[in-house]
Amino acid sequence: MNAAGIRAASPNQAARPGRPAAGSAGGEPGGAGRGLTLRSAVFRKGREQGWRRLDDMIRRVEKSGLSALSADEAQELPLLYLAAMSSLSVARNIALDRNLLLYLENLSLRAYLAVYGPRVNLLAALYDFFRRGFPRAVRGLGRHLAIVGAAFLSGGAAGYLLVSSNMEYFSLLTPESLAGPRGPASTAEELRAVLFAPWPGFIDTFVVFANSLFRHNAVIGIFSFGLGFALGLPTILLMIYNGLIIGAFIALHADKGLAVDFIGWLSIHGATEITAILLCGAAGLAVAEKVMFPDRFSRLESLARHGRQAAGVVAGAVVLFFIAGFLEGGFRQLINNTPARFAFALATGAAWLYYFLVVGKAGPHGDDD
Amino acid sequence: MATTTDRVGALIEGIKRNRRVIVSPEGVPLEVQAAGHSERLAALLLDLLIMFGVIVGLYLFLLVLLFSRLNFSIGLTLILFIVFVVRNFYFMHFELAWQGRTPGKKICGLRVINRHGGELSPSAVIARNLTREVEIFMPLSMLVSLGGDASGWLILSLLGWLTALTSLPLWGRDHLRVGDLIGGTQVIAMPRRALLDDLAAAPPQEAAEREYVFAPGQLAIYGAFELQVLEEFLRRPPTKMTQQLLAGVCLKISRKIGWEEPVPPAKVRRFLTDFYAAERADLERGQLFGRHKADQGAAAAGRRDRSRGGKTGKK
Repeated sequence: MNAAGIRAASPNQAARPGRPAAGSAGGEPGGAGRGLTLRSAVFRKGREQGWRRLDDMIRRVEKSGLSALSADEAQELPLLYLAAMSSLSVARNIALDRNLLLYLENLSLRAYLAVYGPRVNLLAALYDFFRRGFPRAVRGLGRHLAIVGAAFLSGGAAGYLLVSSNMEYFSLLTPESLAGPRGPASTAEELRAVLFAPWPGFIDTFVVFANSLFRHNAVIGIFSFGLGFALGLPTILLMIYNGLIIGAFIALHADKGLAVDFIGWLSIHGATEITAILLCGAAGLAVAEKVMFPDRFSRLESLARHGRQAAGVVAGAVVLFFIAGFLEGGFRQLINNTPARFAFALATGAAWLYYFLVVGKAGPHGDDD
Repeated sequence: MATTTDRVGALIEGIKRNRRVIVSPEGVPLEVQAAGHSERLAALLLDLLIMFGVIVGLYLFLLVLLFSRLNFSIGLTLILFIVFVVRNFYFMHFELAWQGRTPGKKICGLRVINRHGGELSPSAVIARNLTREVEIFMPLSMLVSLGGDASGWLILSLLGWLTALTSLPLWGRDHLRVGDLIGGTQVIAMPRRALLDDLAAAPPQEAAEREYVFAPGQLAIYGAFELQVLEEFLRRPPTKMTQQLLAGVCLKISRKIGWEEPVPPAKVRRFLTDFYAAERADLERGQLFGRHKADQGAAAAGRRDRSRGGKTGKK
């Protein structure tokens, strides 16, 4: 049956010189069909119209988005997509036309990406993220938050103890850009002058200073997340170091009897900023954990599953940094006495606690990745 | 099967693309090609160029808007803030709004996809772009601000770390960077393909006649691989070089299948097209009955998934 139907010999074919020279005796079974019928060709003829239609629609979607389709076309798209997918499955089994196979592979993939591409714009994604995704993701990081919190606190304790034992450590521990004029040699009056400096005016505080603080802190936060990929060690070190600096500052001010005033000065933005730093560190640690101890999935898959959530936490933390920069640059010197500063810090702290513990708890428990 | 397309491509074009299979939610496996290093670099450079343009434009716009009431420090702050916002939202915005493509990627024909099949989620896009800060912008700013008062060893170790991180795409089979690992994404190359005419369909002016007829024994020699190589040759533009190539192929085939009558040069294409059609019909029918013949060396239905198994097996 091997040759049945494949031959396209015209009746006079046998007389032509190009006849098969070897094995020709077997060349004639099955009678002389006039046209050569290929399964794949028939298959293609029946479906080509739909492919070309889909191709045209996808081309427009690729050029200018799903809005390029009319309402009817948008309804037709999934049907044509499914048809193309089934065409591909069939063609893989019956067709050997390379061009046809490649075309169908390509068309199906493009259609698949158009159908399953992201459907939300940045704003909608952001809204949903802050309404649900962010606080939920933070709640999922409790263990990691505890670890980075411990690292941060131990860094703070170490910094405090080191500097109070010997004031010279202060300049070793803190970078000059942070310390500014403050140091072991500063008098209480000088320190007090920094803490209760007059408000320098709107532009300087809200625009210039707040901005530079925000950028600086956000980059640090993103680093402590990105560095989590290196098994979390740099992340932990960064947390300890952050704690060290703050501990050193507290010791310096405590030496001059200004500890409470300093903490008030720090907490007005610290409640927000330290939260953000810890969040970034916890996210970095979560990534590190998945690299080191993948659960029932492969290492890469496990990383992909949790990495997205962790990155979401960092994206949220960047917003916290923005707010913190705003508070630090603008409000810190605007509110110029210690009790008011503490009240403000408590209010912001409570707000964050509420946000992370309560918001987004109700509502659909969908997959938020 | 996909294996053969892969082998044919490697033989004809001489390039080996890294392929990978993702499974659509309908359960259909789809083959994707990992984007090449040069393509990705080109796309990134284009994006950086566009970003630079946007930043300068925005800054000039603000400058005009506020006339000359800006002093230096405010101007600097503004530009730094704009740089920060643009560089962090540029990629996220476009990869969400343009279905996984930034302008640079669109020009280069690249696309971000979910590596596991399924929808490319906003959180994946955010994740893969946040790490960009560490992978790309930190090295860049380091290069700019290098030569401060840091010690040589510190700079060296930092540079080593950065090179390791940044060169990660060079190592893996899928060219994943850290952001892709964390976001569960992959960048693929997607050239558009056109549907060409079926070679086996008889040319209309010749009234569906085949000049050459082949015996089953003559068709049993080759497999799908050879068939598709022949198809590629026949689809080449008809230049003198193609003519010579086809003549050589024709000679080889007729020798192999024992076709003793010499084929006149003017009939070479005719002969090969007829042979292609007959061979394809034969093989496709065989396939219908479950006998897949991958190439001339393979027994029917033998080693069909040979070249694919190693790639998809790791899951």
